[in-house]
Amino acid sequence: MKSNTTAIGLGVVGIIFLVIAALYALGVLQILASTTSGPHYKHAILFAVLAVASFVAANFARPKTA
Amino acid sequence: MTFAQALFMGLLQGATELFPVSSLGHSVIIPSLLHWSFKQSDPTFVPFLVLLHLGTAGALLVLYRDQWIAIIRGFFAAALRGSITTPAERLAMLLLAGTIPAGVLGVFFETRIKSLFASPYVAAGFLVVNGFLLLGFELLRRRAERRAALDSKPRAEQEQSFAEAERISFRAAAVIGACQALAFLPGISRSGVTIGGGLLAGLRHQEAARFSFLLATPVILAAGLVEVPQLLSSGVPVGEYVAAAILSGLAAYASARFLLRYFRSGRLDPYGVYCVAAGLVSLALLRFNL
Repeated sequence: MKSNTTAIGLGVVGIIFLVIAALYALGVLQILASTTSGPHYKHAILFAVLAVASFVAANFARPKTA
Repeated sequence: MTFAQALFMGLLQGATELFPVSSLGHSVIIPSLLHWSFKQSDPTFVPFLVLLHLGTAGALLVLYRDQWIAIIRGFFAAALRGSITTPAERLAMLLLAGTIPAGVLGVFFETRIKSLFASPYVAAGFLVVNGFLLLGFELLRRRAERRAALDSKPRAEQEQSFAEAERISFRAAAVIGACQALAFLPGISRSGVTIGGGLLAGLRHQEAARFSFLLATPVILAAGLVEVPQLLSSGVPVGEYVAAAILSGLAAYASARFLLRYFRSGRLDPYGVYCVAAGLVSLALLRFNL
């Protein structure tokens, strides 16, 4: 399923994940965390990995020129 | 926890983490059976377990150092190119596909589930379930061997008819990764369910074990490294805990070497029988407070 639309969509998802990772790392975001204050590094790492996976998937989805 | 107890727990955790018999289940059941007084709800127990896991992850990194170098190189090459051309690149992407569901479930649910079920009775019960799961995986594998008319052939030849880890599908890798969440239940083995998942996906036993060990490493390592700063500031006897972690790593290394050799022709059956028997005996001992 190679298309520019898919690639751009996955890139946008990656950016969203990156922002969420930063918010968890800074302690701004507390949703679904075991404590209600402070940074949540596990959550931040998870969303950073999800962001990387999205960017990788975006690159795979991008149509390649020969 | 005394130093001797810490060393024993390190040995136990390292030896049972990679065997398909549930290290968490053993860590919950055995101290209870030995009437050890330390509480697993103690704030110092989690950092202790974290260090033991780092020992295990370190052992796996040493064991697979060459493969990890190839996997990391393969990951960056495939990610930048946007296509997969070598088996190492495919394995890197498979591990990413398997790690994501495990990471999501681990970050959001692990602590909640573990705290719900951290009882020796529950752990012993799930150990029995783990045993039946392992026996079930082998039952399905034997059925697959019969379907492929392999049941009369020697074991080594049977195994050669199945695939290497790099041949697994991405969907199967993700499902195997998600199966790791079952291991949040004390008594259910992470390596057991992932090796079993690998068998169902058509891998050789040895390859299923290799994929299971490779899949476990990033999650264990990341979870451990995140906790290290808290460990150093929590006032625990770091020297004693590090000694236990080293012992855990040595035991894990020896276990992994043994298992990879064993799974050239061995099956999960003996571990299944052991889990059923150990779970039932533990339930009886706990019930009668022996």
